[in-house]
Amino acid sequence: MVDHLFRHQYGKMVAILSKIFGLSHLELIEDAIQDTFLKAALQWKINKPEHPEAWLTQAAKHRVIDLIRQINARKSRNQHFHDEPMASELDDYFLEHEIRDSQLRMIFVAAHPSFSREEQIVFALKTISGFSLKEIAAALLQKEETIKKRLQRTRAKIKDAEIQLEFPQAHEIESRFAMVLQVIYLIFNEGFHSTKKDVLIDRELCGEAMRLCRLLLIKENFRTGSLYALFALMCYHASRLDAKVEQGEIMDLKTQDRSKWHLPLIVLGNDALRKTEDYPDFSLYHLEAAVAMEHVRAIKFENTNWQNIIALYDQMLEMMPSDAIALSKSIAHLQIDELEQSYLILKSIHPDALGSRAYLWHGAMAEYYEKSGQFQDALHCIQTAVSTCSSELEQKFLIKKRSTIESNLI
Amino acid sequence: MKEFMLIFLGPSYDELGLSPEELQGRMGKWFAWGDKMKAQGIYRGGAALHTPGKRITGVDRVESDGPFVESKELIGGYYTVAVDSFEAAAIVAQDYPDYDLEGTVEIREVVNFG
Repeated sequence: MVDHLFRHQYGKMVAILSKIFGLSHLELIEDAIQDTFLKAALQWKINKPEHPEAWLTQAAKHRVIDLIRQINARKSRNQHFHDEPMASELDDYFLEHEIRDSQLRMIFVAAHPSFSREEQIVFALKTISGFSLKEIAAALLQKEETIKKRLQRTRAKIKDAEIQLEFPQAHEIESRFAMVLQVIYLIFNEGFHSTKKDVLIDRELCGEAMRLCRLLLIKENFRTGSLYALFALMCYHASRLDAKVEQGEIMDLKTQDRSKWHLPLIVLGNDALRKTEDYPDFSLYHLEAAVAMEHVRAIKFENTNWQNIIALYDQMLEMMPSDAIALSKSIAHLQIDELEQSYLILKSIHPDALGSRAYLWHGAMAEYYEKSGQFQDALHCIQTAVSTCSSELEQKFLIKKRSTIESNLI
Repeated sequence: MKEFMLIFLGPSYDELGLSPEELQGRMGKWFAWGDKMKAQGIYRGGAALHTPGKRITGVDRVESDGPFVESKELIGGYYTVAVDSFEAAAIVAQDYPDYDLEGTVEIREVVNFG
């Protein structure tokens, strides 16, 4: 079977059935699809189908008829879906390009401004990507109950605001498209920056974000520089996934085995980044992709062009002042022993503003003190980093740093 | 050559609320097991059973609807395989994919006259 066939089919079928019946029946539709899969599983256990995908599609078509009866039973007579669709009419909905169109509409629905950012992500992961509540909870490090509530809120909002499975109006499309990119970016980051023990789920999030990006790229009117830049950025980052954790330990850019970087993804990233030049728009994704590119093009850590990276961070800060970007810039300065510059930036950031990532600031401070030979201060900072870090893997990494600093003190 | 029936007892996937991805993972294992038995030439047949059932009991032919047993005792399906011994059938049953879901395989020899 094709990898993730069930999960991807789930997203496709939800999109098709929503196109037929409208988003207000989303819950009914999702339950019906889940039920179809369970029936498939029951039957397939003993009798393997010749063409699993075709089997599932056929089952979904049968489901349409069931759903018409189910929905009609709930509605008053004058609201009925009139006739059962003709087989040929039904087939139209299942044409490859129609499915894609429905899925694209669904991506735009996921980025609807009436959803909060958290709701957008949960909606996309459930409805488009076919993850279960349990899987989403594990991926986002939340309780299943929280995820369930968020999903219910999105369904209520769809009904209240009468959100349709449609592309936004012309005047809205640009801002909504920016939201679509943001949702994809956030899903990717949840996977890439997370340091859960379950690496598999992280990979699935990254893969899913890239798949959504690809779906958008198929359609010519959606191709923009920002979309290509976002795709490039994800390719570069994803190329390093295999090297990021080894035997349960985090490897930073300095210690990663660069021969493990996945070359085809880097090539794909390069192609996408080149494509951005054909479009007039410019975004933070362009700059972030350029930073990621500087890292992957360095054969060894020592070859990294930190001056270029610092210049890119400056451009980013001009576009959007942000403590997180400033922190990254200060760390870049540390790599080439520009200690004063680094310190000035670090001092300008309040670690509390970084939220759960404050430990990164303490870690950077520790590195600054260590490089300047102030080991006592370094020890103090790394200790704070260790105690404020909530990820077990990251903590292990920081503790290792702590022992290096301690060895300098003796 | 003797014939053995491998009877699968355990909760249905429905009840366990498996996600699409998990279902697919399970299917992969069932397919692999089926393919393996066919390649060994020992596969004779099989069927999966729906969960709701009906029973007719006694001289009065009293009908009742399920469930009759706890879900982990529920029969979900069976395979029949042609092997030499119980021991060989037990080896075949090692590949049953759902032991981790509280599943059980019961092995019974099919009575063949002749």
